[in-house]
This record gives sequence, structure tokens and C-alpha cells, in this order.
Amino acid sequence: MSEKHPLTNMLANKMQRRTFLKWSGAIGLPVIAGGIGTKMLVERNKEAKAVSTKDNEKIISTCSVNNCGGRCVIKAHVKDGVVVRVSTDSQESGDLSTPPLRACVRGRNYRRMLYHPDRLKYPMKRVGKRGEGKFKRISWDEATRTIASEVKRIGDKYGPESRYDNYASGQCWGLHGGSASVRKLLSLTGGFLNYRNDYSSGAGNVATPFTYGTNNSGSSFDSLLHSKYIILWGQNPSEMIFSTPYREYLMQAKKNGARIIVIDPRYTDTAIVFADEWIPILPTTDNAMMDAMGYVIITENLQDQAFLDKYCLGFDGEHMPDGVAKVESLKSYLLGENDGTPKTPEWAEKICQIPANKIREIAREYAKTKPAALIQGWGPQRHAYGEQIMRGGAQLACLTGNVGKLGGWAAGTGYWNRSNIVFPFSYDNPVKASIPCFLWTKAVEMGTEMTAADGLEGTERLNTNIKLIFNMAGNMLINQHADINKTRKLLEDESKVEFIVVSDIFMTPSAKFADILLPGTTFFERYDIGIPWCFGDYVVFGEKTIEPLYECRDEYDVFAEVADKLGVKEKYTEGRTILDLVKESVERTRKELDATFPTFEDFRQKGVHHFKYDGPLVGFKEQIDDFENNRFETPSGKIELFSKTLWDMNQHDEIPAIAKYIPSWEGPEDPLKAQYPLQLISWHYKRRCHSTYDNQEWLEEAAKQEMWLNPKDADKRGIKNGDRVQVFNERGSLLIDVKVTPRITPGVAGIPQGAWYTPDTNGQDQRGSVNVLTSQRPTPLAKATPQLTNLVEVKKA
Amino acid sequence: MTVTIEPLHIQLQPYLLARKKFYQLLHLLFSMPANVDALFEIKKEVTFKELLGQLHEGGKILDDFFQHLNLEQIKREQQEFQRLFIGPGPLGAPPWESYYRSREQLLFEEWTYQIRERYHRFGLQYCKENNEPDDHLLLELEFMVYLSDLCLFATKDHRLDKLLATQISFLEEHLLIWIPYFCEKVIENTSSQLYLGAAMLLEDFLSFDLESLVEVREGLLLCLKNIH
Repeated sequence: MSEKHPLTNMLANKMQRRTFLKWSGAIGLPVIAGGIGTKMLVERNKEAKAVSTKDNEKIISTCSVNNCGGRCVIKAHVKDGVVVRVSTDSQESGDLSTPPLRACVRGRNYRRMLYHPDRLKYPMKRVGKRGEGKFKRISWDEATRTIASEVKRIGDKYGPESRYDNYASGQCWGLHGGSASVRKLLSLTGGFLNYRNDYSSGAGNVATPFTYGTNNSGSSFDSLLHSKYIILWGQNPSEMIFSTPYREYLMQAKKNGARIIVIDPRYTDTAIVFADEWIPILPTTDNAMMDAMGYVIITENLQDQAFLDKYCLGFDGEHMPDGVAKVESLKSYLLGENDGTPKTPEWAEKICQIPANKIREIAREYAKTKPAALIQGWGPQRHAYGEQIMRGGAQLACLTGNVGKLGGWAAGTGYWNRSNIVFPFSYDNPVKASIPCFLWTKAVEMGTEMTAADGLEGTERLNTNIKLIFNMAGNMLINQHADINKTRKLLEDESKVEFIVVSDIFMTPSAKFADILLPGTTFFERYDIGIPWCFGDYVVFGEKTIEPLYECRDEYDVFAEVADKLGVKEKYTEGRTILDLVKESVERTRKELDATFPTFEDFRQKGVHHFKYDGPLVGFKEQIDDFENNRFETPSGKIELFSKTLWDMNQHDEIPAIAKYIPSWEGPEDPLKAQYPLQLISWHYKRRCHSTYDNQEWLEEAAKQEMWLNPKDADKRGIKNGDRVQVFNERGSLLIDVKVTPRITPGVAGIPQGAWYTPDTNGQDQRGSVNVLTSQRPTPLAKATPQLTNLVEVKKA
Repeated sequence: MTVTIEPLHIQLQPYLLARKKFYQLLHLLFSMPANVDALFEIKKEVTFKELLGQLHEGGKILDDFFQHLNLEQIKREQQEFQRLFIGPGPLGAPPWESYYRSREQLLFEEWTYQIRERYHRFGLQYCKENNEPDDHLLLELEFMVYLSDLCLFATKDHRLDKLLATQISFLEEHLLIWIPYFCEKVIENTSSQLYLGAAMLLEDFLSFDLESLVEVREGLLLCLKNIH
């Protein structure tokens, strides 16, 4: 019987008949050709030290370099080459010269980001239609070869102005990164079209210098410890981290007795934590309130006349530039001497919905309590006439004489900076032409038709439209730019932009539009130095914690390989690795900027360096203390409440010489309100950094993507808390859950910005990606984004 | 009862070889469908219906798939393979153990270590250790191929018994815990006959293999007891 079947003998008796029969078929299985192909399990390297995974935990201090305003210390606990958990700065608070740099909820999630199964792992090339999301895995050699040949082909065919590195901020606050690498490569091979300005404070960046000559109108945050009265005008540091220790100083200011006012359409987390009073305001109407405050101050004679007389141009008829009528002064405007409309609190109330008496009260308090700091956030200036808002705040600071004084604040854009390091990886672009960053879609569509009126600089005309886009760790290619549906059509047309390269760590909406898609690294997988936005006296060491996972690579190395294929590798790297760049930065910082900066090894060991100062930095202190020897960097050398330069542009309706309230298109006075009655704003959500982390589940649990709507507006529409609604206007439509809450002003809907565009087959977004509803119409002067100026209607889905 | 004079390991050869080939087949089915020759060889040589009819649904679906196999179809399956297991973007069915076992659905969790330790015990390591997770489906299958291969060359009964025990525990403590969830995810997310069939076959085969390993080992121990 053993001849009849090979599995008889012992087995026939021991195995269940059922099991036995099943096997009888499998015995006949042929040997698969080639076995299992290449073996992935190999003989173990005996050299590798046999370590117990239990007791060799190493703690490595590192730092993320995304576009958060702060930089926090991330401590990676590493066992056997794997990050097993993360913690953060454990230094105690109390010493305000070395404030702890603790991670917020976003930072606690980093291990999930690192080991998330959705990480981009291999280079890919597009195989379907552009934007369809179909890709094929390719080798790094094929990826870099394709990039090199397209860089050359498109450069040769259309000229260097056809090549563009798109605004991208996913890894922008370090020494190297994708954009720096691309720009270096393009600079070495003919150049690329530049952009100017940013999406964050774009209107302010251009407007504030017309008043002060600079955007550095802020003071270091420790100066707030001396403030008696603080207005946070549209600023929300509890959710949007301007600087990691900022809130520490605000809390101390509050303990010191400062009264804090928050002006915002939303009752924000900042208002909850810090505010003595919340002033809800309608979006786009900030200047009406500012004007009325100015009116109250001068009609009640609360202005700092000596300050205005000495330092300012254009306050009254006696201080006007040559050739301009006295009646064009700020005072005349506020009193209505020119246009017949005195900017009374009652006038403003009708526009901004804040009771006239409340405006009076705030104006009096702000003018009488000295020193007072009016600090402006940037949300309000991402509006149709955002330039006015930033100059309007500065105007109030000057009326009250709070400029250049400890505990005061000059308002305006509000940058401040006194701590720097050397950036050793730089480029020199032979192309001088530049466009405002917000107009890149225009430069794709009709770049050759752009002129100075569109903000084109460095050339009279462009020779070509944009034909090649690098989008390195950014989501501005579609998600974060205004009017997603319009941008999508533009990108889908493969004859317009001929080649798009995206590098990222996840499959973002922008990544879907790549022709070549590259898997980038997280900060755990590379060396760097993390630098905060301008407001911070600290830098954080970015230690390489683990080797890059999968086939992920740093863009610096990727473009070194592309440079090699184009014959410029030596010029690109100058023989340096990323680690060399970090070391060089430290050494040169010690030599060129600050001898007290730690050595590389010390910095690496401590993980963080706090720059120390004897006292706070006070914006414009030199000018105010010694005006004769320190003038403002304006044409007149004074603070220009009235700007002759703006006056001479001769577009007084939209670009006035003094800050004014200008009724906004798609604002509360636009007739379009009949059709789309709600003003839609967005805000920087505490669960994301712009659009970074939108795919992170923990963070969605921490703060869900939902729209805020006032009960009055919800009731009118039969909408209940938690309902799913459709939000729409002429530009697009999205679905989102609603939080019905009195924490938002009636007439206003608020959607947290940065959710990943997730269209259904009809193009309706399913995730609440606010930019399907926003407009590409730029602000008049800065050509900046108006993404918080929108009218929409909402109905139950 | 027939008392055989053949040593036990010789008696077990056909069974052990069949198991190895079966794991190789599964490995092939879940590898990138790039080895066109091997696929056509299966089409030619393997009648899934007869061979695996007992393993219900999966065998039938695969049989149908291979009967209609052509180059165009293979190209489509390559795309599907990439969508399910490679990316870019969220995967249809992430093929790693720790994804299914960790509370947070992450990679490189403690199960990755456990699997790594199993490899190390046999003097093996993943050639991309610490670069990609050790608990990928194909690696765990390769490990089973490796162990079943060792069995084929084990001439000592105790050694054989130990190897069988190792495989039983690997199935019980790893593969059979996560594979059902993995297969469920494949089945939910694909309409490809290849991957539907392969997923069903995988899940069924693994539990069947465990069952038979336990039976064989019991038989082996009984025989050893009788001999001694």
C-alpha cells in the first residue's frame, strides 16, 4: 500500500482523512521556476553586535523643520535602530531666558508620522493621466535620469524662465531641503524664474514698509512683560505657534497684570486662555474699527501729539509731504473733512458689528493705558484689501505713541530678529525676473503677458510661461493655493506645465499631480539645524536619528545625483555632505556671527542653543531714542502714515496713501451677499501645520475637521450640531460636518485650513478643503492672497 | 498494522516537499507579477481546481484566473499589485504584521522585533533590516519556505520535531493571527481574481498547514515513543 500513495505508512494512520486528502493534490505541485526568486533573508552578519532590545534605549534629541513658527525639541527614544517613542524638552519653565521648547500635540505624533504605513517609499513615475493618481515604481537611476533630461530639454527649448520651484514650506526651516537643492541645481544650469513674498503675511510684507520702511516692527516677546495692555488683533498663538515660548511670555505678562483683549471673528483658544475680553468682528472690516478707534482718540484728544509731530508724516495738514493737499491727511480722513463721512464708532458699528460704545471703550483704554502693545496676527490681512489692515494697526500704534517703547508695540507685520546662524548652502540665480508667489498660476497660463502691474520685477516681459515645476515638500501646487478647481484644470492640461516633480513623505493632493514622485525623508532621517520663524532666540539641533527608511532619500542627495548627470555635481556639493553643511554652519556661526555659539559637539550634545541677551529687543528704539542719528528707512526718514510713494501710484480707491477702510469684494457689503450670505474664513488649526499631518489619525481625534457656524445661522438653515453640510459658491463645493457654536460671529462660517482636497467623481470635495471655495483675485498692491475673503452659502447635505 | 522500515524523515519527504512547494507558490502569488514565465508555467502545469478544490473558493477563483491568463491581464495585475501593496499613498492591504497587530496600525512595532528575533535565531536577517520592516508577508512566507527546506534535510527525528514545533509556533503566534485580517482587507479592496483567490488560498492554506503540522508532529512523537 505504500506504493499506492507516498503519504501512507505512518501518516495515513495518524492524519485525519480530511487533511490527508487535501494534501494529496498538493503533492503534485510543480516546482516553481526559480524558487522564490531573490532571497531577502540572508545569512546574518555576525559582526553586528547581538544586543538585547530591552536595555539599550538611546535618547536622541532632534528637531522638525516644517513651517511651524516655533521649533521644539523632539527626543527620539531609539532601540535597536527603531524609534520606539518620542518625548520632548523636559527642562523646567521659569527661567525666561531659556524657556523650555516643548512640543504641542502635533509634535507628540511624530513617531506615527515616521512609521505610518502610507509613507511614500519608492520613486514613482506617472502612468495615468496627470492628477489621476496612477504611478509605477521606478529606480532612483531612472528618476534622476528623467529629471536631468527634462531640466535640460525644457531649459533648452523655452529658456530658464520656464523653470520654477513652487512655494513649498513642508521642510523650509532648516539648512538644506528640497527647494534649496532644486534652486542650486537650476542656478548652476541656467537659472529659474524667481518668486517673491509669501502666502502668510503677503499683504503685510509689502504694506508695512510703506509706513515704517521695514517689516521688522516687532519687539522680542520678553518685552511684553512690561506691557500694561495687550491687544491681540486676529492673532491666535494658542493654536498657531508663532514661536514655541511665545505663550510662556504672554502668560507671564498676564500674571504681571496686563489686560489682554482678543479681536477675532472666533472665540479662539487664545481668547479662552488669555483674554480679559473677546471682541467679535466681521472679517474684512478691521479697518472700520481701527478708523473709529482713531476717530475716538483724536476727537477726545488722547493722541500722543508730540510723537506724531516729531516722528510721523501725514497725521495732520501741518505734516503733509510737498505737493499734497492738507485735506488728504489722516486726521482729515478720520474726521470726514474730505469725504464727508466722519469715522465715528456709530459709522463703524454698522460695518463691523461691534457696538459703538465698545469701540469707544477699547480706544480709550488703548490710548490711556501705557505702555500698550497692539499685536497683529496675519489672518486679517489675508483679505481682499489686507494691506490696509497692517498699515491701519501701525497707525493706531503711532497715534498712541507706543512705537519704540518698552512694553509698547509698533504693530504692522511685526517681525523681529536678533539671533542668526550661517546658511552655508546658497545659490546665485542668473535669472533676475521674479513674480509674486501668489500669481504662479497666472505665470503658467499667461506668463508672457504679465507686466509690472502684475508685480513682475527684474524684467519687462517674460519670454515664456512656466513649463516645469518642482514642488518640494509642499502642497501649494493645488491644496493650499486658492481656487483648487481652477488650478486643477490648469495642471491637468499637460501641454501647459510639461513636467512636474514632487518630493514628499505622503501622497498629498499635490503629489497626485506629479510626473515624477520622489519619496523624501522625515527629520528623523537626516541632519539639520531647526530655526524658528524670525521670532526666536533659539536654534535646535536636528540629529539624524535613524537611516532613511525604504528607498526614501534627502533631496540634497537626489539633486546631487541629478547634478552629476548634468555635469555640475562638484559645483553643487562643493564636496560637502549634509552633515558637512551642518558642521560648517556651526563653525562659521562661531567665527562670523557669535563667538559664544557652542561647538558642533556641544550643540549636538545639548540639542538646543538659547541666545542670551541683557534685555528685550524693542522695535524702533534707536529711532525713537535718537531720531537725529537714526531715521526710519522710508523715503522721508519718518514714519509715513501718509505715503507719497503710494499716493503717486494714483490708484487711490484701492491703494490709498493712508490706511483706510475699503469695502471688500465678497465682504459684508458686497451685493453678492444676497446669493451667498455667509462670510467664510479659515484658520490655522491646532491639529495641522498648514496641510501637514492632515492624514494623521491621532490628530484628527485631537481636533476633527469641522466647520464652525453660529446657532443663528444654523437655525435659519435647519442645521443642527454635527450635521453634514454642503458649503458652496461659484468656485466650488465641499462637504463637511458642522459644529454649531456661539464661538463664531453670526454671519461668518469658519473652516480650518489645510484639509486635503478629496474630490468625488463630480469634483465635490469630501474633506472640507477650504480652497475649493477661495479666489485667485490678488490684493491690489502686494498681489497677495485674499484666501480669507469669500462669500458662501451652506445647506444640509 | 504495517510496520515500516523506512526512517520517519524519509517517509515524511513527500509531505515536507509539498509544503515547501506550496509556500513557494504562495510567495509567488503575492510577489510582484513580473516573472511572466513562472506565471505561464503555473497556467500550464497547475490545475488549481483539482489540486486545491478542497481548499474551497480560493482554488476555484485562481483556476479561472490562470485559465484566462494573458500578457494584458498580467499588466493589469501589476498595477493592482502596486495599488494594494506598494503605493504611492494609502495601501489597499498593507502587507506587514505590525500594521494589523498594533493598536495604532503602525509599522516597526514590537511584532517587527519578534519576527526579527525569529530570523536571528536561525542565523538569518532581512537584507534591509531597519530599512524596511522585517514582518512583511513575503518575508514571513520566505521564512516558512526556509524552515520547510530545513525539514527536508533533517535526518535526526528530534531535530525534525523541533523544526515542526518552530513552524507550528510561528503559525500560531504570528501568521495565523494577522493573515486573516490581511486577507479580509485584500478581499474588501480588490476585484482582481488573482488577489481574491490568492488571499482566500493563503488564509485557508495556513490554517490547514497548522492542522496538518500538529497531526504530523503528534504522529511523529507517537512513533518515536514506540521506537524507544
